Amino acid sequence: MTLTFRNVHVTYPGSDRLALRGVSAEIAAGQRVALVGRNGSGKSTLMLVANGILRPQQGELLLDGRSVRYDRRSLAELRRQVGVVFQNPDDQLFSASVYQDISLGPLNLGLSQAEARARVLQAAELCGLGELLERPTHALSGGEKVRVALAGVLAMSPRFLFADELINGLDPWMRRQVLHILERLSASGCAVILATHDWGLAREWADYAIWMDAGRVFRQGKPQTVLSGPECPD
Amino acid sequence: MRQIDSYAHSNKLSRLHPAYKAGCSLLALTLCLALDHPTVSLLITALMLALTVGWAGLPWRFVLRLLGAEGGFLLTGVLGIAISVRLSFDQAGGLGPVQIGVTAESVQQALHVFLRALGGAAALNFLALTTPAADLLELLRSLRAPATLIEIMGLTYRFIFALFDSLERMTMAQEVRLGFADWRNSLRSAALIGTNLFVEAFRRSRALETALQARAWTGSLRVLPREYEHLFRR
Repeated sequence: MTLTFRNVHVTYPGSDRLALRGVSAEIAAGQRVALVGRNGSGKSTLMLVANGILRPQQGELLLDGRSVRYDRRSLAELRRQVGVVFQNPDDQLFSASVYQDISLGPLNLGLSQAEARARVLQAAELCGLGELLERPTHALSGGEKVRVALAGVLAMSPRFLFADELINGLDPWMRRQVLHILERLSASGCAVILATHDWGLAREWADYAIWMDAGRVFRQGKPQTVLSGPECPD
Repeated sequence: MRQIDSYAHSNKLSRLHPAYKAGCSLLALTLCLALDHPTVSLLITALMLALTVGWAGLPWRFVLRLLGAEGGFLLTGVLGIAISVRLSFDQAGGLGPVQIGVTAESVQQALHVFLRALGGAAALNFLALTTPAADLLELLRSLRAPATLIEIMGLTYRFIFALFDSLERMTMAQEVRLGFADWRNSLRSAALIGTNLFVEAFRRSRALETALQARAWTGSLRVLPREYEHLFRR
């Protein structure tokens, strides 16, 4: 399975500035992709396009070679395959308890209560949340909120997971735990696309890197090649 | 508020089906209002306190402090019943025609209203201190309350705490810049915090909508119900 951005151009409503200018890239199942670039380079916008929240004004998004349509049914299918974990976990936890919050995605996909329950327990186990299921979401620590947000998306069993600066601000222990979850996901065949400012991590962890600059793909390819040279910040 | 929420999740009855607790609380409230007798009100206050401390295992100091605070608030309300103010031009005294007085009858009436309201407060405290908000929403859902109302209540509950966190951060940021150094600065800081909080609430609502869309939102916030304990074998 592949997710392809073909010459994608995006402008936010009410703005003249192009947030993405002709981005082309292809991500395959099981890949570990590091998405790097300055603040405002278009990384988060690319994630919104991948999930169908933003529709390109020019260019197209292809899922497994087929152009994505933006009707209700196609969007539901796209969101079943492509999950996004946003930068601020507080903005994506809606429900009163962890258990209920994780169940939101599977029920939105139309799964039965029994199936949704199984998905919730599976995602909670993967993210080490077994003990926290009854806890109210507002009473969690920052690292726990990140893992709950991640579990909420994983319960939808996506084939592509976009994580927007997921490990920023986490302590080294929590960071290792989250990276371990991402590794297990990747090993299970899910493509993980991690937007990060940690270039060292991008070189070590990823098997593919996309460097974005001013809404364009500046370079992409093997991390050791792409993330080296005098333009690199480190 | 955080403390009430914390006890609601950690007391001995937190896993008990909310219908039992709501039933118990509403029965006490109805008896208090319907029988309308000071002795009944006193008995109900004592019974609800005993249930909250003895059955749910909450610390008696906290429960009494909470009821004391509510009692203080009620006292200010019933003062208006106890003290009568009237205009009389026949017996003009020190305050001219305005006569302020307390009669045995008005004090008795004030005490009557006070005890009745205190009994009601004790009954509702039992429910609030033993039942997590998520369970109350679940109960409303099973009673077929309008889904939109339940969703709004759930989101309000969730975001009260998120906005509390923002408020604390903003207040701290103003404090470290001597924002509350004098009366004038305090007023200015309070106005700035109020404005920023409004902008923050608006930003959060936008982010919330985006995150909901990313999780294949279909228009309703459906979540899995919790599994509860029951008093009787089913």
